[in-house]
Amino acid sequence: MKTIPPACREPDNGVQYWRSLEALEGTPEARAWVEREFVDGAGELKDPVTRRDFMRLMTAGFALAGAGALTGCRRPVEKIYPFGKQPENYIHGVSQSFATAMPTRHGAVPLVVKSHEGRPIKVEGNREHPINTVAGRAHGGSDLYAQASLLDLYDPDRAQRFTKGGNRIEREAALDQLAQFATQFSASRGAGVAVLMESSSSPSRDRLVKSLGARWPEARWFFHDAIDLGVAARAASLAYGRSVQPQYKLENAQVILSLDSDFISTEEDSARHIRGFANGRKITEAGLGSTRAPSGPAKQNATMSRLYCVEAIMSQTGANADHRLRCPSGQIIAVAAAIAAAVEPGMPAFATLAQKCPLPAGVKREWILECAKDLVANKGKALVLAGHRQPPAVHLVAHLLNMLLGAIGNSVVFRAAPAPAAGIEALVAQLGTGGVNLLVILGGNPAFTAPAQLNFTAALKNAKAIVRLGTHEDETFSALGANGWHLPTAHYLESWDDARTGDGTLVPVQPLIEPLYAGLTETEVLARLGACESLKSHDITRETFASLTGGKMDEEKWKHYLHDGFLGGGAADHQPPATSLAAQNIADELAKATAPAAPSAASIEVVLFRDTKLDDGRFANNGWMQELPDPITKIVWDNALLLSRKTAVELGFENNDVVEISVGGRKVAGPVWIQPGQADYTAGIALGWGRQKGGRIANFHGNDENSNRGRTGFNGYALRTDSLIVPGAKLTKTGATYKLVTTQDHWSMEGRPVVREANLKDFNEHPDFARNMDLDAPSHSAHIPKDDKGQPLTIYKHPYQSHPHLMSSMHQWGMSIDLNACVGCNACVIACQAENNIPIVGKDQVHRNREMHWLRIDRYFTGTPLKQKAASLLGSFANNLTSSPGKTDEVNLVLADPAQQKKEWIDEPQVVNQPMLCQHCEAAPCESVCPVNATVHDEEGINVMAYNRCVGTRYCSNNCAWKVRRFNFFDFNKRPLENLYKGPLAGRGADEMDLVKLAKNPEVSIRMRGVMEKCTFCVQRVEAAKISQKVKAGASGDVEVRDGTIQTACEQACPADAIVFGNVLDPSSRVSKLKKQQRDYAVLGFLDTRPRLTYLARVRNPNPAMPDYKEHPMPHSISEYAKRSGSPFEPHGSGPAAGGAKKGAH
Amino acid sequence: MSDIFPKWTNKLPLMVGLSAALFGGAGTFGVYYYAHPGYTRVGYKPIQPVAFSHTIHAGQLGIDCRYCHNGVERSWYSNIPAASTCMNCHNQVLKDDPRLALVRDSAATGKPIPWVQIHKLPDYVYFNHSVHVNRGVSCVECHGKVNEMDEVWHAKPLGMPFCLECHNAPEARLRPPAEIYNLDWQRPANFTETHGKKFAHDWKVLSSTSCSACHR
Repeated sequence: MKTIPPACREPDNGVQYWRSLEALEGTPEARAWVEREFVDGAGELKDPVTRRDFMRLMTAGFALAGAGALTGCRRPVEKIYPFGKQPENYIHGVSQSFATAMPTRHGAVPLVVKSHEGRPIKVEGNREHPINTVAGRAHGGSDLYAQASLLDLYDPDRAQRFTKGGNRIEREAALDQLAQFATQFSASRGAGVAVLMESSSSPSRDRLVKSLGARWPEARWFFHDAIDLGVAARAASLAYGRSVQPQYKLENAQVILSLDSDFISTEEDSARHIRGFANGRKITEAGLGSTRAPSGPAKQNATMSRLYCVEAIMSQTGANADHRLRCPSGQIIAVAAAIAAAVEPGMPAFATLAQKCPLPAGVKREWILECAKDLVANKGKALVLAGHRQPPAVHLVAHLLNMLLGAIGNSVVFRAAPAPAAGIEALVAQLGTGGVNLLVILGGNPAFTAPAQLNFTAALKNAKAIVRLGTHEDETFSALGANGWHLPTAHYLESWDDARTGDGTLVPVQPLIEPLYAGLTETEVLARLGACESLKSHDITRETFASLTGGKMDEEKWKHYLHDGFLGGGAADHQPPATSLAAQNIADELAKATAPAAPSAASIEVVLFRDTKLDDGRFANNGWMQELPDPITKIVWDNALLLSRKTAVELGFENNDVVEISVGGRKVAGPVWIQPGQADYTAGIALGWGRQKGGRIANFHGNDENSNRGRTGFNGYALRTDSLIVPGAKLTKTGATYKLVTTQDHWSMEGRPVVREANLKDFNEHPDFARNMDLDAPSHSAHIPKDDKGQPLTIYKHPYQSHPHLMSSMHQWGMSIDLNACVGCNACVIACQAENNIPIVGKDQVHRNREMHWLRIDRYFTGTPLKQKAASLLGSFANNLTSSPGKTDEVNLVLADPAQQKKEWIDEPQVVNQPMLCQHCEAAPCESVCPVNATVHDEEGINVMAYNRCVGTRYCSNNCAWKVRRFNFFDFNKRPLENLYKGPLAGRGADEMDLVKLAKNPEVSIRMRGVMEKCTFCVQRVEAAKISQKVKAGASGDVEVRDGTIQTACEQACPADAIVFGNVLDPSSRVSKLKKQQRDYAVLGFLDTRPRLTYLARVRNPNPAMPDYKEHPMPHSISEYAKRSGSPFEPHGSGPAAGGAKKGAH
Repeated sequence: MSDIFPKWTNKLPLMVGLSAALFGGAGTFGVYYYAHPGYTRVGYKPIQPVAFSHTIHAGQLGIDCRYCHNGVERSWYSNIPAASTCMNCHNQVLKDDPRLALVRDSAATGKPIPWVQIHKLPDYVYFNHSVHVNRGVSCVECHGKVNEMDEVWHAKPLGMPFCLECHNAPEARLRPPAEIYNLDWQRPANFTETHGKKFAHDWKVLSSTSCSACHR
C-alpha cells in the first residue's frame, strides 16, 4: 500500500521542538540554516580532526582571544536571520493570539492563546465566548488545568517516538501498519476489533467513530474515564428517558445544596460554575458616597446566594459553604433522601428511600429540615447538585428535587448529548474470551487508572495486537507487550479538532505550533483506520464544520469560527426541559438504592477523589502542578491519607505516620494528614499520584531526606473498585514516617485581622465593619503618636511626600480583590507562574520555605471559640501573647505541636481563602532598607524590582510585613532540581533546557541566583498597554490607558472575576469604584504603608434558623476578634479599650 | 631598634596608599572608559554578507526607512527586511548583478541572509521602536545618519546614560511627526524653546525614568 506523506517530517537528528515559520510554510531549507548560526569554521570540526588541525584551531582560538581582549572585549558577533520571503500579516516582535479550546471530558474550556514568534507562551480564557458572559459582563476566566496545560506542551518526557514492542520504528512504518489494519479488518467487517476511548465532546471524533462503525459494524466500542464525571448526565438521561446533559447556571440560584458535589473544582465545567457562583455571592453596595462618610455607614440591603454542602472530605466547595455537614460519602444518600422527603413529603419514592436509608448518627434532623425549608422557600431559585462519586440514586434525587423546586430551565438546563457506551469492565470481559484481535486505545492511561480488581494489565496480554495513542511512555506503554504499537499524541495546542462547551456551543481546537514530536490526534488515527480520504486533522475538522453548518464549506463562516473561537448562533441546541419523567426508570433505580453500613474505626470508608492539581494523573509530570499547594491541605509534591481528628486519635496516628490501607485484599501505604472538617471514619486519598512511570517530575528523585524518592505521592487507584467510595478498609500503622511538606504554616495571621468577615445580616446593619477592625481606627490608635494635623505619624517615608513631582497625575495603578468572590481555586497562581517565568524549586526547597510563587492563596481555618476548649488562630495568638501561653488547648495551629491535632475544635472549621501578593505599598518598608536601590517605586505607584541592581541582601524580604518577596537561592532555571547544590557543576540536560527556554515569556526577565523577586503587577502588561495607547495617540495627547485594557495575569485567569486591576486616579474605573465600597480594607493597614492592593471583606450568608448558626451567630474569626478588641458592629469605642491599646502596640 | 626597619619604610604606607589610589583609579577609569558601550560599541562596523549601501538607497534614491523596515511603527523591533522585499525592485534593477546573488538566492529558496547584528541591547532592556518613532523621536537620534553610511556602523553608545539623557529632557529631541524619517532634517535654532516644549506638553510626552520603563 502506498504510504501517505506524513503530516510533518521526521527530525533529521534528535528531537525537534519547534519549527521555524518557514517550516510551517513547508520550505525544505528550514533545518539547514539553523546550522548556519554557528560561526564559520565550526564546520571543520565535523571532519576527522588530525592533531595538526586541532593545534591549528586551538592556536587560532587563543590568538583570537588575545586580539579580542586587545580590541576592547567586543561582544561576540551575532547574526540576524530575516525571512527569505515575507509572510503575510506577520510583524516581527508583535505577539499573536489565536482562539482555541482545551477539550475536557464532556466539554471544553474556550481559550485565547498567545503566541510569540511561533511558540505558544500563555493560555487565557476567551472572553468573547457566550459561556463567559454572566449577568451582562464578559470576562474570560479559565481554570488551573487550562493554565497549566501549556507546560505539558513543553514536557520533555512526552512520548516522542513511534514504537513497536517498545522499540523505535519509523513514523511511516507505524502509519503503514494502521493502513494495513484498515484493510485487514475491513474484510471481517471489524470483527475482533475493540476500541477503548475516553469521553470527549468532539463532533469530529463522533463523526469518525460513526463512519468507522459503519465500515466495521462488528467492532466494539468501550469508554473509560479514570474519573467518571458523566454520572449526572446518565442519571438525567435515565430520568427523562432520553440522552441529555445538564448545564448548571449557579448565577440563577439563591439557595444551592451540594450533595458531595465539589462543583467549584473537581466537577466538569468548574470554571463556569465558579463564575456563576461568585456572581451570586458578590455584593454591590448601594448609596456610596465619600469613602469614609462622617455621617456613619449607609445601611445596606444586600442579598447573596447561600450554599449548603454535605460532604465527607473538605473540598473547595465545602470551604465556601455557609453551612457544611460532615457525613461519610456512602451515607450521603440518606441525607439526600431525608432532605427530599422534607421538601416533598407527598412523594412516596422519597419517603421509602428515606426509610430505607436512615440518617447517620450525628446528623441533626433540624439541619435537614431547615435546609429543606430554605430550599422550598426559594422555589424557582434553588438548585441541588450531586457529586460524581455518588450513585445514580442520589443524582436522581437531585434531578427530581430540581424539578420540584423549579430549577429546570432556570439554574439547570439540559441539552442533547450522545448516549453513554459500555465501560472498561466489558472490555476486560471480552479480552478474557480471547476474542480481541486488535485493541485500539485512544488516550487515557488505563493500565494505571482501571479498577484494580479488573487487572487490566494482565488482560491486555490477551489482545493479539494493540495500537495505543498516548501522551507519555507510561504504565500503559509498558503493558503493551511485543505486539503493541505506540503512537505519540499531539497536544491540543498542536492539533486541529473541535469540541462543545458546557452550553453546547461548537468551539474549534486550533493548533498554534506544528507537533513537536510529529504526534497524531485521535481523529487522525480513526481516519487512518477507517481509510478515510482526509487523513489530516485539519481537513477532518473542516469537513465536520461543513457538515454542521449546512453541508457546504463556507470559507467566510469558517474564518469567523476560527477567529472568534466559537460558532455563534444556532449551534447550541438546548432542549426544552422535559415535562414527563420516565417514572418507571426512576422507581427501579431508587428501589435498588441502599445505604452501606456506617463506617467505624475498624471499617474505614475510603473516599478516592479527583485531585485538584493532577486531575486523574494526567498532570503528574507537570512541575507547576506538583509544586502548587493543594487548596485545602496546602501540601506540595505529595498526596496524603486524609483522616479526621477523631479517627486519627482513635487509631493512634499522627501526621506523617505511614499507614497501610487494606481493603478487599488490596493494599497501599501512605502518610497520614489530619484534615480539619473531614467526616469521621473516612479516609480521603487524592487520585493520580504515585505514578510508576510518569516522567522525570512524577518520578522525581531528589537526594535530600525531604525530597521525593522516585515517586510523588502514593497510588490510590490500587484501591479503587467501580466506585470511588470503597468501604470496609482497615488501617494499620507501619511504623515508618514520611515527611509531608505544606506551605500554609509558613505564613500565619499572628493575631491580626488579616481576613475580615461578617454575616450578611450584620453587614447590612453595619456595612463598615471591616473599617472598624482597622488598627488605626480612632478607637484603636489613642496611643499612637500624632503629627500636628492629628494624623498618626508614619513609620516609613512616603516617596511622593518629598518628591511630589515624581508622581504621575495620569495613571496610578491599584488592585482590589473581592474575598467574597474568591473561592481559592488556584488558577491565578498558575497563571502568574506562566506569565512571569516563575521556576519550580522541588519539595526539599519548599520545605525550607523557598518556594517562588509570587502569588499564593492563604487558607485559614477558624474554629469555634464558644466551646471554650480551644481557640482560633487569632485567639490562640492572643492567649499566647497575654495570659495563658502554656495551655495546650489554646496554642497555634502549627505542626510543631502534636497536641493541636487532637482538639475537638478543629472538627468543624470555617475556611477563608485570601490571595496574597505584593501589596505595592506607597510607603514601602522594603524600599527603605534596600542598600542598593534595587527595589524602588515607579511614578505610577508600582513597587518595581531592578534585578540587575539586586545584590541579594534579603533585607527587603525581612522588612516585608506580608512576606511576599521571593529569593532565588539557586539558579532554578539552569540547574536540575536534584543537583541544585552543585551549582555550575550541574547543568540541565539539553533536551530539558531547550524546552525550558521555549516555555518562557520573552517579555519578562529570567532571574538568576541571588536575586530577589516578587509580584510586579504584571508591569510588562502595563507597559505594553501604555505603549499601545501611545502608538495610537501619535502626535496627540490621548495617552491615558482606558479602563479594562490592562488585565494582570491573575485577574485575567480568575474565573470568579474577583481580582480587578486599574487606574485609581480615574474615579470611573472599576477598581476605584470597588475601593469606594465600605467593605474595602487594607491588610495590616495600621502600618500606614498605604497598600495599593486592598481587599473587600468577606460576607457569609448563614441561615439564622440552622442549628450551627444558633451555636455561633458570628463567623468564628469575628467572635474571636470581638472578644479581644470589641465588636466591629457596635458604635465605636465601646470595645475593651485596654485590649485595643495593647494590640496596637506592636 | 632603628636597625630593624630602615628609614625609607617610614614612607611605605604613603607609597602603598598612593599606588593603591593610582592603580585603583586607573583601574576604575579603565573599566569606566573601556567597558563602556561608548568605547566597546561606537564605531563597530562589521562586514556584511551583502554589500548593501544605505547611502545609495536611503540617501541618493531617497527611499523611506519604512519601505524596508516596515515593522518599526508597530513593533518592538525594526525588522530587517526579507529578501523578497529587496526583490520588489531588484527583479527589474540590476537583476543579474553578481553582488545580489545571495539576495536572489534567499528570495528564491527562503534561506535567510546572515546579516551581522550591529545595534544590540542587553536582554534585560525592553526597548520599543514603535513608541519612539510614533511620538516624535527620529531614527537619527539613536542610529545616526544612516543615509550617509555606505556600511552601517554603530554611531551612538546606546548605554543607559544615553537613554536617560533624552528621557530626562525629551523636548530637546522631539521633532515634527512629518520629519521623523527625514534624517537630513536640520533642527532650527531655538526649536526646543519654540516647539519642543510645546510638543512635550501637548502630546503628554511623559518619558519615564523609572526602572520599569525599560526593565521588567
